[in-house]
Amino acid sequence: MVDATTRFFEDLDRRGFEPLLAKSFGTLRFDLHEGARTTHWTIKVDRGRIDVSQEDLEADTVVGTSPDLFEDMAAGREQGIAAILRGDMTVAGDPRLLVQVERLFPGHPDARGPRRRFSHEEVV
Amino acid sequence: MAQSNTVRILDGNTFVVCEDTGDIEATPSEPTGLFSIDTRFLSTWVLTVNGERLNSLSYDDLQYYESRFFLVPGMATHYVDAKLSIIRERAVGGSFREQITILNHDEKPVELEIRMAAASDFADLFQVKDEILNKKGEIYTEVEPDKLRLGYRRGNFRRETIISCSEEARFDKHGFAFTVRLEPNEQWDTQVDVQTFAVGPGGRDLRMGLRAHSTERLALQHDLEEWIAAAPKVNSQHGRVAATYRRSLVDLAALRFSPLSLGGATLPAAGLPWFMTMFGRDSIFTCLQTLPFTPDLSKTTLRILAALQGTRFDDFRDEDPGRILHEMRYGETAAFEEQPHSPYYGSVDATPLFLVLLDEYERWSGDVALVKELEPECRRALKWIDDYADLVGNTGYIWYERRNTDTGLENQCWKDSWDSISYRDGTLPPFPRATCEVQGYAYDAKTRAARMAREFWGDPGFADQLEREAAQLKERFNRDWWVADGEYYALALDPEGRQCDVLSSNVGHLLWSGIVDDERAEKIAEHLVGDRLFSGWGVRTLAEGEIRYNPIGYHNGAIWPFENSFIAWGLRRYGFAEEAAMIANGILDAATYFDGRLPEAFGGYQRELTKFPVEYPTACSPQAWSTGAPLLLLRTMLGLEPHEGHLAVEPRLPIGMGRIEVLDIPGRWGRVDAFARGRLDLHNLAD
Repeated sequence: MVDATTRFFEDLDRRGFEPLLAKSFGTLRFDLHEGARTTHWTIKVDRGRIDVSQEDLEADTVVGTSPDLFEDMAAGREQGIAAILRGDMTVAGDPRLLVQVERLFPGHPDARGPRRRFSHEEVV
Repeated sequence: MAQSNTVRILDGNTFVVCEDTGDIEATPSEPTGLFSIDTRFLSTWVLTVNGERLNSLSYDDLQYYESRFFLVPGMATHYVDAKLSIIRERAVGGSFREQITILNHDEKPVELEIRMAAASDFADLFQVKDEILNKKGEIYTEVEPDKLRLGYRRGNFRRETIISCSEEARFDKHGFAFTVRLEPNEQWDTQVDVQTFAVGPGGRDLRMGLRAHSTERLALQHDLEEWIAAAPKVNSQHGRVAATYRRSLVDLAALRFSPLSLGGATLPAAGLPWFMTMFGRDSIFTCLQTLPFTPDLSKTTLRILAALQGTRFDDFRDEDPGRILHEMRYGETAAFEEQPHSPYYGSVDATPLFLVLLDEYERWSGDVALVKELEPECRRALKWIDDYADLVGNTGYIWYERRNTDTGLENQCWKDSWDSISYRDGTLPPFPRATCEVQGYAYDAKTRAARMAREFWGDPGFADQLEREAAQLKERFNRDWWVADGEYYALALDPEGRQCDVLSSNVGHLLWSGIVDDERAEKIAEHLVGDRLFSGWGVRTLAEGEIRYNPIGYHNGAIWPFENSFIAWGLRRYGFAEEAAMIANGILDAATYFDGRLPEAFGGYQRELTKFPVEYPTACSPQAWSTGAPLLLLRTMLGLEPHEGHLAVEPRLPIGMGRIEVLDIPGRWGRVDAFARGRLDLHNLAD
């Protein structure tokens, strides 16, 4: 079974274009630190066009966190902005790119969203 | 919070609230301190000389970011004999700096032990507001030869206060001290620097490189001068309108706030001390009020809110795709998800109001590029209204019911206190609820979006659809919400479609939005300036005679200047210029009792009864949308309206207001002037 982290990036790469990033430009690198080992994921954004790689490329924004926290974010169990405020995730460089990319992470797997009262069905 | 003996200075979301001596001695119920990013960084800051507390002779709020205190040792009973003067001058701007100067007026030399007690509880602003103080992390103090470090640690969450001085000081765990000998007429001074840090694991500050403007005093001064120079000039025959305008302009400068992680753009924060942060609703309302005067605020606000528009379902944050945020916070409770403000999306009006502001902004500025840039966000916002906001199903109305039942907001409209929405018998309706003014905003949003779709997005089909939907909404609304026996619109509907049939200020918003049927407008105008709603100062949130009416009920009787400015605008829109002028006159009169700085709310007491407006006990001041109110009232009285590329001016001023001129109003026309003379006799209307 592929982990949520890999799925998140593969899905992003497959999409090729993400309307939510249509106003964004730059390179964002996630450094996932575990002991001495660091895994890199780099996202190049060019007005919505996305290119994902696992190379350690120079980036406008470098985000550092643990693979576990990232896995939870990729699965929707943790939210990125709160993680930054807590210091569990760090940002170096231009934070705007991260704030935009953070919006691509899924909601909580148990989120029920708005429901209509009388039809007893989910709106979505 | 409205303690009259507290002094406040601020820059963005860094601010100091202290006693009139400059001292800070915070207690759970006394919200004094040095605050930044929603955290208290100093809770004790007490200056003594030879063990004695100091007494205030006077203080000056020089600018919003600096103040000066003149002090003498000892208590008021014997300070006339004082042979020492102490001057404390301080400024905020990123960090907090205090200059302490001591003058010896004696003919003999003096030996002085000067001491500053310093400590911090690192309380989250939410904990201060709700008086909860049991910290889950650890507070630490580190004494170094040249500095004192106060800190708080909880996991990777770290906040630190670092205190240093220009003169050599003896630092200890509870503060720092100087031993000084002063010859006759000699003076001594030191500069104390207090820096606040939000430290990440790599020692990197959360806020690094994110200041909107330089934090040096001279730069702040320069920035304020530029801000004032760029805004239109207002001259008035009686001075008071011009003075209120100037006060508002300076307070707006102070309330500009630069959210972390958004590249230094500024938008109006909601208000001091509790709301120095980004609010969807408050920021948008303030922008609408200030558009003719400071249009750039609107552009940045729209961009920032667009950049943080919801993208997913998050029940804890009440987030949906397309929803515009309610409130962002940076403190410990947001970080550890004890509060949902990272950001929280629990408001139903910010989303339609976002569309309203963008269209209004274009009408003034001609900035078509922004309307095109934000087309995707507008479409998502409209989709939210249609797909996710109709919680009852097939009603076409916007309803709210929080999914975060623990820390989410029950009432997600502007009247967000728990008991603001009720039936005439005083009982509270079940959820979901729909309030009337929000349906007005939705109508306005669709009408305006139709114009944008037709003129700028090249989508006439979508424009037709939006206009059809708006027309249907108006028709439905006028059928379902009209309270026949009272001849006004209900405050809200419950999920069964039953009316919350109280008479409230909310009907005033409906005029502004244009959802009121023409033949009903006169009745609504009558209610708004009638005895039950109008106090003589302004329109009460709830009409006198309703069971829950209370002149100092936050949303059940108090008068909110911000709301009155929109009510006046709405009256003017439907041609009730006299009624609009009456409200404008009352609110601007009230402003003079607060030195031009309107509070968040004041009591709904009859004007003849109290003779002066009674400030609401815990009102926030300055508060952005109260600060914006005089500006919108000016616009309304002068009848400033963009019209086919130029600025139409159609003044309707009460006689007592004399002459008013507004010079250099910016817009698509370049800059133009507006002149007005008071000609309306309001007494005729009152009779």
